[in-house]
Amino acid sequence: MEGNGPQWLAPTSLDEALGMRAELQEEATVVAGGTFVGVLMNVGFMAPAALLSLRGVPGLSYIRADGELRIGPMTTHRAMELSPDVRRGWPALARAFGEVASPRVRNQATVGGVLADADYASDPPAMFLAMGARAVLRGPKGVREVPIENFILGYYETALAPDELLVEVRVPGGVEAGVYRKFRTRSSEDRPCVSVAAVRRGGELRLAVGAATSTPQYFPDLCAAVGSGTRRAREIGEEYASRIEPISDSRGSAEYRRRVIAVEVRRALEELAYV
Amino acid sequence: MSDPTRSSDTMSDPRADGSIRYSQDMEMEGMWHARILRSPYAHARIRRIDTSAVPEGVVVLTRDDIRDLNRYGCQIRDESVLAMDEVMFVGAPVVAVAAATRRAADEALPLIDVDYDELPAVFTEMEAIAPGAPLVHPRHYISENDAAYFGMRPIDGTNICHRFRIRHGDVDRAFAECDVVVEEVFTTDSAAHVPMEPHASLARWHEGRLEVWSGTQTPFNNRMDLAGIFGLQPEQVRIVCPPMGGSFGAKTFVRTEAIAAALARKTGRPVKVVLDRAEEWQTMNRHPATLWMKIGAMRDGTLVAKHVACWANTGAHADSGPGVAQKMGYASPGPYRIPNVWVDSHCVYTNTPPNGAYRGYGQMQCIWASERLMDMLARRLDMDPYTLRMKNILREGDTYCTGEIMHDVAFEECLRRSAEAIGYHTSDDHAGKGVCVLMKGMQTPSRASIAIEAEDDGTFTIRCATIEMGQGARPAIRQMAAELLGVPMERVTYPDPDTDLVPYDTRTTSSRSTHVMSRALVEAVRDLEKNGKRGVGEVTDKGGLDPDTGQGIASSHWHQGAAGAVVDVDVETGKLHVRHVHASIYAGKVVRRAAAELQNEGSIIMGLGTALFENITFDGGQVTNANLSDYNIPSFHDMPRITHDLVEREGAQVYGLGETALPPIPAAIGNALAASGIHMTALPMTAERVLASIDGGGTVDEARRREMRDIVEAGLHRSEKS
Amino acid sequence: MKVQFTLNGAPADVDVRADEMLLDVLRERFGLLSVRETCGLGVCGSCTVLVDAEPISSCIYLTPMAQGRSITTVEGLGGTHPVQRAFVEAHAFQCGYCTPGMILATKRLLEETPHPTDHEIDTALGGNLCRCGCYLKIRDAVHLAAGNAGG
Repeated sequence: MEGNGPQWLAPTSLDEALGMRAELQEEATVVAGGTFVGVLMNVGFMAPAALLSLRGVPGLSYIRADGELRIGPMTTHRAMELSPDVRRGWPALARAFGEVASPRVRNQATVGGVLADADYASDPPAMFLAMGARAVLRGPKGVREVPIENFILGYYETALAPDELLVEVRVPGGVEAGVYRKFRTRSSEDRPCVSVAAVRRGGELRLAVGAATSTPQYFPDLCAAVGSGTRRAREIGEEYASRIEPISDSRGSAEYRRRVIAVEVRRALEELAYV
Repeated sequence: MSDPTRSSDTMSDPRADGSIRYSQDMEMEGMWHARILRSPYAHARIRRIDTSAVPEGVVVLTRDDIRDLNRYGCQIRDESVLAMDEVMFVGAPVVAVAAATRRAADEALPLIDVDYDELPAVFTEMEAIAPGAPLVHPRHYISENDAAYFGMRPIDGTNICHRFRIRHGDVDRAFAECDVVVEEVFTTDSAAHVPMEPHASLARWHEGRLEVWSGTQTPFNNRMDLAGIFGLQPEQVRIVCPPMGGSFGAKTFVRTEAIAAALARKTGRPVKVVLDRAEEWQTMNRHPATLWMKIGAMRDGTLVAKHVACWANTGAHADSGPGVAQKMGYASPGPYRIPNVWVDSHCVYTNTPPNGAYRGYGQMQCIWASERLMDMLARRLDMDPYTLRMKNILREGDTYCTGEIMHDVAFEECLRRSAEAIGYHTSDDHAGKGVCVLMKGMQTPSRASIAIEAEDDGTFTIRCATIEMGQGARPAIRQMAAELLGVPMERVTYPDPDTDLVPYDTRTTSSRSTHVMSRALVEAVRDLEKNGKRGVGEVTDKGGLDPDTGQGIASSHWHQGAAGAVVDVDVETGKLHVRHVHASIYAGKVVRRAAAELQNEGSIIMGLGTALFENITFDGGQVTNANLSDYNIPSFHDMPRITHDLVEREGAQVYGLGETALPPIPAAIGNALAASGIHMTALPMTAERVLASIDGGGTVDEARRREMRDIVEAGLHRSEKS
Repeated sequence: MKVQFTLNGAPADVDVRADEMLLDVLRERFGLLSVRETCGLGVCGSCTVLVDAEPISSCIYLTPMAQGRSITTVEGLGGTHPVQRAFVEAHAFQCGYCTPGMILATKRLLEETPHPTDHEIDTALGGNLCRCGCYLKIRDAVHLAAGNAGG
């Protein structure tokens, strides 16, 4: 990088953006809302040689509800929180977006950004997973859809290839009930210690525990057992807790997180009328 | 500069229109910007410093540039402008740079290479007093700064830089006569001040004098220390104090000023230092403390004896830690008649960032322990905690264990009001409800002076060293002056304090300023009436305590209050939901009601943070949550129902209340939990700790108590010999 | 690179590095010192500015993203805007450092929700921290500005 700072790349079409992405790959940091990039640059963890801004690409900010929910990557958190379509058909998703940080962050941060960043403590990823959402990725080799549980792979690590962009998120309809629980141990502005996102659709349950470890934790076999009524909510909570290796940080130790996981999973199930 | 906190009776205010200028906003022609390179080790010898890669246009300051400068420290002279041979905490300043832009200074830091040889370190106060603990400082030199205002008692050859005692009666004999004796060990974690504006100062050398614009609460102490550092007469140093975006004790004594001054000396230019947020946790925090307390009473609740041993962890530099330890010690018996009281309070070095003045000044720590202990005693006596307190509480004319007579006493009234406000007696078992009553001392001895100048245009100018950090002391002083002069407040101006122009004042700490200046103003106005052009008033409060017996006058003027709390517990997670807190604070006479309310509310809210979730986490002496995502302060949604009283009395003096409502909040909440069978001894009462206490069935950790008692006895035995 | 935007109603034009944050540009190039830094992470609100009428953390907002936008700081409110007057009348500040952020957040809240409840105020302003602890009087100020009778 020059002493003049990074290069600012401002493509004006999706094809141009994809072309730049394919050419530069990890040499250019993609900027959607810019919140995550801004924080990392301020704390000195990142000093990119080039910034690839999606801001000027038209048609990336949309919410379309037509049986299925289709969301453009530049859609802000605030738009998701307030969208009448999302609130009507996927209300727990709107609520989860509304729980993120502050209105300032929600005005700036995007749907594509929060998934691509894969920050373990973010709210939307666990909710998207519970909603059965898929990330649509596009690159030189074409388009592919990846379920969220296969998209987020680790701390700040996703299945997005260095020559791909996340171009849409798709969420199936038919949600019967959903709950998002955000357990904080300290200030109400704190990031979560443990979060639980749970959705019931067609008699089936999907439940993900977030913020406890590197990725949202989803166990289909346990969810199936709840759905069929063969296991009690309390047992499922304890099973989830025993299968997860939580982290320790200023919000709680690993042992404490385990205790909370058991309680919060049970409470989420109770909210969805499972006993 | 005009008064940035002029009357809120007008339509606009510099705080609302954004025109207020803080210390960090100071600009001066030709000014350069500084950054500091800090130690990554808790204790190490500096083997080599290599600055050869730093480009032209950046000036570097190392220990070689400051060998002619003297050591300093407001109570113990244990600091140097930069580390000399050793670094003693993670974050210790090792090299400083100045450049024309902040970016250039920033970019120079990674180019500097420092080699260290690691040395053994201690991190907690109990580790530091254990036999064979490595010494942070081999010797302790008492400062000549007027902040070393009491008999200092460092113990050479140990990590104890001050010990304070109260010897009143005979506790050992008295405990033997008690019907009931209760003892416990309490701990408080460190916390951060988090002023919204970071530390900032700008220094320049001008015609042989050092001039510093600094966000500081202690202009005259800084003047003295800076003069000592640079070998100047105090009159050759000038300190000007722009308003601060909060301080809460963080911006006291020399913090960034000496580095700014040394860089200004080397560059020949004005140099400004503004700290990064992360650096705030490496500059000054609150004293963690361990307090062992034992109290004995008769069956009817009459208190007979109390023994306290406490240790304040002052980090690698004493700063005002000896004063904190002293105040923690003399307030630890609580506002009660107790015929036998022994206190041993210690200020202990460790290899962590320095701890210093923090709103409450040692009294939060001891009130937590003391008032929790009272509820434990009440439970053991099968007595109502409120009744136990009222039976023993200090009244007008009572003698405190320091030997001083208590006057203008309001403890009973404050406690009664707080208990009523939370409906403490609506149920016999007080489930989920707790109370706390407190006494807090004010800086004694102290000296305050103020001057009033009559201008030709009919206005008056106040010359006073009291600084503005949001507490509203300056408008209060303006208002009191206006009332005494019989003029509208708009005719009284109060420029930023400038030590060239204002008479001496001890410092703006200890919630003293509105009180002492209210008295000094009376003298100043009287003097002005005689002189016509300029009147000066001075008030001196004598007193102090013998450090070996704790006898004398601890405080010329006691801050008094009480609090109540109503708390629910989620027993499956330990998470607390505070429903209501109330504080009753003795105000004597309120000067500006809205400002007084704001100070109470602000103290209460800060107390909630201390009680529930504020703590600094360390790993090997390194702060691991040095940012505002990992360290939380209270926000809007954290507010319970908050109510408070400002208790006034006809003919009373003005009482300072900048801190009083903070210390009782944690104890009131802790006592609310105790009433529900949850026994908390550590602060903050995090959800995890509460859950652990619930898991333990509310029982006390006997093994830990025994271990602490052994440490206490060994520690006391060692300090007895000094 | 050149970035153009509207600043407090007037056209603005700067040449910046692509990695300069809007906070620093507003303070250093335009002298708008009501925009302040506390945390550098977007969590405290001291750096709040309005971008196209919506509150944003300027400390994590790359200046090139401001291209073509309309930016408002407290200096652009005139000093006697109803929200500013309400804060003064309600004594809703002590040191004043967080106050511009509170005022801008309040302005936006009242545009969206003209008569907010305490809960709505806490949600809209929760990301604006005040260490002096003025939250109760800030709520009063918002109610006053909203013309609410009581809270």
